[in-house]
Amino acid sequence: MNRTGGNLYHNSTAQWLAYIALFGLLAIIPVVGAEPFQLRTFAGYAVFAMLAVSVSMVWGFGGILSLGQGIPYGLAAYCMGATMQMQFQTPDEPIPSFMLTNELEELPGVWKPFWHTHIGLILALGVPTLIMTVFGILMFQARLAGAFVAIMTLAMLNAFYSMAQDLQPFTAGFNGISPPNAFKAFGVEVDPYSPMMYWLALGVLAVVTFASKYMLQSKFGTIVQASRDDAERVRFLGYSVAYYQVVVFVFGGLIASLAGIVWVMIQQYVSPTALETPFSIYMVVWAAVGGRHSLFGAIVAAIVLNYLQTELADISETWQKAWLLILGGIFVAVVLLLPRGLAGAFEYLIGWIPFGGRSAKPAARPEAG
Amino acid sequence: MSVHDFWTPFSAGPFVNSLLIGLTLGAIWLLAALGLTIIYGTMGVINMAHGEFIMVGAYFTFMMQSMAGIPWLLCLPLAFIGVAILGWIVERLLIRYLYHRPLDTLLATWGVSLILVQGVRLIFGGEPQYVEVQPAALRESASIAFVHIPWLRIFILGATLALAAGTWAILYKTVYGVRVRAVMQNKEMAASFGINAQNVYGMTFAYGAGLAGVAGAMFGGLKTVFPDMGLGYIVEAFLVVVTGGGHLFGSIYSSAILGELNSVFSYFTNTTFARFVLFVLIVVFLRFFPQGLFPEAKARR
Repeated sequence: MNRTGGNLYHNSTAQWLAYIALFGLLAIIPVVGAEPFQLRTFAGYAVFAMLAVSVSMVWGFGGILSLGQGIPYGLAAYCMGATMQMQFQTPDEPIPSFMLTNELEELPGVWKPFWHTHIGLILALGVPTLIMTVFGILMFQARLAGAFVAIMTLAMLNAFYSMAQDLQPFTAGFNGISPPNAFKAFGVEVDPYSPMMYWLALGVLAVVTFASKYMLQSKFGTIVQASRDDAERVRFLGYSVAYYQVVVFVFGGLIASLAGIVWVMIQQYVSPTALETPFSIYMVVWAAVGGRHSLFGAIVAAIVLNYLQTELADISETWQKAWLLILGGIFVAVVLLLPRGLAGAFEYLIGWIPFGGRSAKPAARPEAG
Repeated sequence: MSVHDFWTPFSAGPFVNSLLIGLTLGAIWLLAALGLTIIYGTMGVINMAHGEFIMVGAYFTFMMQSMAGIPWLLCLPLAFIGVAILGWIVERLLIRYLYHRPLDTLLATWGVSLILVQGVRLIFGGEPQYVEVQPAALRESASIAFVHIPWLRIFILGATLALAAGTWAILYKTVYGVRVRAVMQNKEMAASFGINAQNVYGMTFAYGAGLAGVAGAMFGGLKTVFPDMGLGYIVEAFLVVVTGGGHLFGSIYSSAILGELNSVFSYFTNTTFARFVLFVLIVVFLRFFPQGLFPEAKARR
């Protein structure tokens, strides 16, 4: 695709402008007017977009096909659920009702830190990060790659899913934890139906995206992408591939954890469904359809696909049932015909627009889209 | 929840019973993993739709029973043929374009599995269906002293061993098997000796899918039949394949070991906690032995 001048797609100014335009557009939705219920749904899309960004970082740029992004997401969601539940409890009534039905007479030790909101938030980010670090070191030091990583992350995800179901006195099992009140911090209550919640979710998405983008355009990001393309050669150059893989794996996990926290703030609910296998694979589907080498594509695909799903479900029950059929078809077609997703197709099309002058360095960072 | 509710103390009779249950559980996992072993071991394709092939096999059996009244034992080979044809179609239409991108086969087959699950749900609805196992004797339990095992599980154990033996015979005693193993070791070299590698891949995928079909026909009798049932087998099946090293004998041993371990852990604690411990153990094991329990010395792709 190297015609004269270069591709606008690779121009870093144009890329930043595109991101700013996207987030600007998303940010004015509450101003333009949307029902509170719609706003809450849209805030949920921001969470899905974060998950797509997380998969895009780990898989698209890091070359690690993780089917276990639900692990950090789910663990963070459970920590956040516990934090919000404990905000509701008082010293007179310290035990959540689902524990009473499970015949617990006192608050279990693992739940005690969640009395303090700030400690709860630290745990919600810290616990998944720690687990992903250990898991990442375990896998990447052994130089595992490809299908192996996919199957191991899948197994781990299923292990955590079983635990969430089984430890009923601590997690409320199948029913899940549903904190009665909205999240409060620094004296502010975050109403899930308010524009504040929406902007908060969007803000986290923006921070996460720009941090990822910044990381990819740094030297670190270049080495990460080089390890994806040819790990052996990067090793010959003297870099520790495992180190870079662990860092990008944990970074992706951190994004997924943030997504989990925001999700529980929006839904006031967490259950083992957060750790289900299909959900983690849907994240990969969003990233793949948008273009695994494009954060922008991942965000747009996550929002559009979920929007379509909701809208179709509103039309009729038949459409709701047909959705997974359509999604499966889209996914197969994309994998088969557009391995680089919609962003790849866009890159190809926009390449035909003559663009000279201050062309970026397509050879240096061809895929940091 | 006190420790005593959680931890079952050892006692000989029930423990031996759970060992036997573990053996039959291993057979169930092996049956689910057999087709996957052939497909992954030969072609390097990670078939996420394998669980859905099992599900289609179960529905196919349900349909043959309820509409045509075909006896269950006859349904087994028919389910094999039916799902093998489905597998062959999937390979011809989709998989064969993806051999140079093995990881993408995982994604594409997941797409296929979505379509299969939802297609079946649209046709049959989401409510569970039942496959009736015949003869009726199979529905009872064998009870000798302290051992209680359903006859169906024993039947599955035997059938699985027979299928494994049959697969072994095909792979090691027939000309077709020689071709498969040649393509497995070096596709280009085999092709230059006049073996039609495309054809071998197509037939192998169909065979693996057919095995999933038989598995589905039996699992349908063991539990209920519902559109999402494949999900319950796919993870265990993959772990059996990977732990075994991706070949037939490895899968046989690893399924027996994993089934027993799961059963023993379940005996002392409970089934879900056993699953957790087992999966974590496997992940740690694979970190140190990525080649599995029985690495093959041969050149592999």
